[in-house]
This record gives sequence, C-alpha cells and structure tokens, in this order.
Amino acid sequence: MVIKLTVQCELCPKMCLIEPGQSGECRVRINIDGVLRTVVYGYPCSMHDDPIEKKPLFHFLPGSRILSIATAGCNLHCLNCQNWEISQANPEDTPAYPCPPERLVQIAKEKNYSSIAYTYTDPIVYYEYTYDTAKLAREANIRNVLVTAGYINPEPWRKLLEVVDAANIDLKGITEEFYRKVCSATLKPVQEALVLARASGILVEVTNLIIPTLNDKAEQIRELCRWVKVNLGGETPLHFSRFFPQYKMRHLPPTSLKTLDIACEIAMEEGLSYVYIGNIQSEEGENTYCPDCKRLLIERVRYVIRQNHIKDGCCPDCGKEIYGVWR
Amino acid sequence: MTRRKFIQKITVAGLAIIAGLWWLVRKAAPRRFVRAFGMKKYPGSVKTLPNTYDQSKWSG
Repeated sequence: MVIKLTVQCELCPKMCLIEPGQSGECRVRINIDGVLRTVVYGYPCSMHDDPIEKKPLFHFLPGSRILSIATAGCNLHCLNCQNWEISQANPEDTPAYPCPPERLVQIAKEKNYSSIAYTYTDPIVYYEYTYDTAKLAREANIRNVLVTAGYINPEPWRKLLEVVDAANIDLKGITEEFYRKVCSATLKPVQEALVLARASGILVEVTNLIIPTLNDKAEQIRELCRWVKVNLGGETPLHFSRFFPQYKMRHLPPTSLKTLDIACEIAMEEGLSYVYIGNIQSEEGENTYCPDCKRLLIERVRYVIRQNHIKDGCCPDCGKEIYGVWR
Repeated sequence: MTRRKFIQKITVAGLAIIAGLWWLVRKAAPRRFVRAFGMKKYPGSVKTLPNTYDQSKWSG
C-alpha cells in the first residue's frame, strides 16, 4: 500500500502542504522522505556589525553595536522587498557561512557584542536556528533581537518570545487587501503576533513602510495608529519608513518627506508618544522627546547618537519613565 | 446462531471497520511539523567565516 509522505508545516499561517522533495513557500523548509527539514540551520548568508538604530530600535540599548545575521528565504514575498536578493533567493544559490549556534554565540562573546539580531530576511523562516542560538545567547548574557514581519502561528511565536528581549515588527499596512496584494500574506496573524509580543513583556517597536498610492492615505495611517494605540499602547514606538523603488515595485516614486511628516503628525494626534521617521534625513524625525515635558532626550543623526540625556530610564527634567531597555 | 452472538459479531466487525478507517485516515493525512529537523549539509556553496564584520547594505 502506498502511503503519502506529504508534510504540513505549521510554523506560519501559510500552513504549507509540502510534497516529498519540495519546499514550502519560504524555500528553506523542505520535505525529505516525509520529514520536514530546515536547510539553513547553522548557515547564515549574512553576518554584519550594525548599529542598533539601523534595525530600527530606538528604545533598546541606544548607541550599541549588534551582531546581525540572516539566512536565505522568507515566508512573505513583498513586491517592494529591499532585501530581495537574499529573501527571495533559493538557498542553493546563496553562499553561506558554516556557523552553528554555539559558534555564533562564541563570536558574539569574543567580539563583545551585547546583543544578536536575527534580521534582514525573516527569522521566522530560520526559526530553529534563531531559537537555539537565542537560548544559548541568553545563557551567555547576550540579548536577542528580532526584526520580523511577524507572520507566524501563535504557538511557535510564544515559544520564541521566551528567549527574545526585543523586536521590531513590521505592520506593513492596515488592510487585508494590502497584505494580500503586496505581501502575499494576511493581516490578522501579524496583528495577533504584535499583541502577543507586547503582552509577553519584550520591548516592541513597530515599523510601517509608507508606499505612495498603496498605504499613504491619511485615513489609512490614522487607522493604523489607532490600532497600535488601542492594542499595543501609546508608548509603543512607531517608525514610519521611507519607501524606495525596489524589486517588483520600481514604477512607484520614493515616499516624500511631506507624507512622512503628515504621518508623524497623525500618529501624535492619535496619542502615540514615540514616533519616528526612517530611511530619510530629517531634522527632528529621529529624535526622542519626553512625552510629558517635551524635553529632547536622545538626538540622533542617521545611526549616530549625538546626545542621550535619559537617566536611569527616565526623563532628567520631569522624571517621566521612558519606555525602553536602556542598559 | 443465537441473536446475542449475531449482535456480537456485527459489533466486532463494525469496530474493526472503524479502526481500519481511522488507521487509513491517519496514514493518508500529512504529518504535521512546527519545528523542522536540521540537515547535515547546506545545499549551496559555503564560504569562510570572516574575522571582522562590516555594516550591512541590507535593510534592517
């Protein structure tokens, strides 16, 4: 009797049914003889030394350097992906470093990194590598940061959050239509992941890339800000990021500074305390101000910290506690 | 055959059919995984680990 060897990957909401010899949508989780295998475990294709502000994380160890890694593959296929050369690549076409979790943590220790970022593509697709490394890193007093689209099922997400300290999670749009058309995904699981992350107690910052004509309407931005305020809290930092024509979306212009400024105004009107502009040079859009007394707390120019007045996690003038991990 | 024995046989046969069907359904259904197993070999080319790390060109 012939028994089917199809497997179902239950890591992300795509729930891929994978035939023998085939991979899931992410390209890196493969059915080999009826067993699901990850082909990128211990093989990052990118390892870099980045400023934490580049993630972007503005409320987590400002001014620190972070060892940043990624493997090939992604479970989303955003038409505007800025890292498509690795995220939409097959592992067989992507050279990688042999670096199992133990070695990666050892490198971070030797080079005095205070944290490791699982970033660039999406740590969800190299879930096992991320989890095992993060667990070891935590034992070595190294913190773990995720930069992710948050497209993951609740059970594995909860487990991963146990070993993570901070995350920047994309909220790419606020409509199902946007997620379906631009990202080949759905909105609801991302919202659930955001709520779970915030409830878990880790530091959460949110990024919204504003794409002209697709998600740049004032009412869409307002709805997104309201959702963040109601579900994640007004203290959750929100980064509006500038779009550049990339990958399969080269026909649209870059986002204007005016649009980003309007988005910031809307976010503040809606009661968000920490709103930032990214991917563009702006005079004040990267600075942190005290939500109560409006004092300048951190001045940033690109990825450089010019001033940091936060004292013991509080505003030095009015004593307001500032959301974040400061040391 | 008594009525009682007939009912017993029908019950046993029915249970066997149900058990068989359950086994078939289980075997035919895809195996489910959250955590994937590792592989011994990377399918692409492998490069040497650098000694120093530069800032990435990637977003994030």
